[in-house]
Amino acid sequence: MPNDPTHCTENRMRSHACVLKHVTTSLCAVMALLAFSALTVAQSSPSGASASNASKTKSANAQTAKFDPHDFSGVWNPAPYMQPKGEVNPLDLGGNPNPLPPFTPAGRAAYEANKKFVAAGDVTSCDPYGVARNFFTPRPFEVINARDRVLQHFEYYSDWREIWTDGRSYPDDLEPDYMGYSLGKWEGDTFVVESKDYNGKQFLTWQGFPIGTGLRQTERWQRVDRNTLKILFTFDDPKNYAKPWSITYFWKLKDYQLDAHPCTISQLREWDQRMGHVDGLPGLDYGRPDTEKPGSNKK
Amino acid sequence: MKTKLALSLALFGGSLAASGLVWAHHGGSEYDTKNLRTLKGTVTEYYWANPHCQIFLDVKDGSGKTVNWGIETLAPAVLKRAGWNPQLLKPGEVVTVTIAPSKKGTPIGMIRKLVLPDGKELTGGELGERPPQQE
Repeated sequence: MPNDPTHCTENRMRSHACVLKHVTTSLCAVMALLAFSALTVAQSSPSGASASNASKTKSANAQTAKFDPHDFSGVWNPAPYMQPKGEVNPLDLGGNPNPLPPFTPAGRAAYEANKKFVAAGDVTSCDPYGVARNFFTPRPFEVINARDRVLQHFEYYSDWREIWTDGRSYPDDLEPDYMGYSLGKWEGDTFVVESKDYNGKQFLTWQGFPIGTGLRQTERWQRVDRNTLKILFTFDDPKNYAKPWSITYFWKLKDYQLDAHPCTISQLREWDQRMGHVDGLPGLDYGRPDTEKPGSNKK
Repeated sequence: MKTKLALSLALFGGSLAASGLVWAHHGGSEYDTKNLRTLKGTVTEYYWANPHCQIFLDVKDGSGKTVNWGIETLAPAVLKRAGWNPQLLKPGEVVTVTIAPSKKGTPIGMIRKLVLPDGKELTGGELGERPPQQE
């Protein structure tokens, strides 16, 4: 159907519409499986046991239950408390995160500029969070396996990411964007994802750590046990960081499904106006130009 | 002059100190998470939508004057997992809320706990997983 505007050729697959269309069938199947899994868990819970005992039993079962280490499909909720101490904490939002990444002078300057921008409210732009920022937002994501790629659906901002697993190389005509372009391959039981092609318009974390267009991001995904996903992130961005640096983060497998949470200016505005009726204060600033952040490093 | 949005760096207590972030969408308000307030009032509006839901409550202050409070919550997706739904509250119902009030002293707050007319209690939702010992 070449004249069908919704027909998704390989070249069009990066558009949201095509991704949405392509994964609808997969989503239905995954949802059905999740619903069935939840029902099975509920039916097998020991009746009359205390919630605490049930929780302990569930936890013990999760550590010994069989699973396919090459299958990450399902909904994963972040478990920030599992991050090793001493690493850069992407949710240390107190204003003085400690430790800091190994900034270059340019990276440090960009971070300082970004901090002011974050405090002033980058939410009003509705810019996609991209990766890695969406990984470090305390909301779940779902993994869906497709024939030639792994799809990630982030609940926050209802955003999608593709990780190509068909052995391709980076295309010559990459168009930089928030998500970057990601290739995945297996090294034993570790799923290794390499990404580049970032547009430099988003932050790496909520604190405003900068991203340069030359960022190369590596993720090493592992299922520690049936219910636990571990990802080791390494960020190699010579313009902003003096050396590659890493964050180890964890997620827990959940039996619920994601909900829609798109970011829309109209909803933000309505929300804001309602609060304004109560406190009489002026609202948010939607009039400023968006997308260009003072600390971003464009080519 | 319009006031830009301020990202509130105030964090929930306990495990959410590591995983929770709440931002005020209006008036640059940060929430005072160390001095929670409990309010009993009559629902005037329950607004279920992204980015965050809202509850508006008529509350009588110390002098007997009725003040309409705006209570911010987290997103519908988060509330659903905490047992909330779009039909949970109706205008005219009397509920009790525990909130982190705006530091500006305006009648605005971020929900921490909701007590329904039948006494059932709901939290304001979870951001990220809690450590197992706190389950």
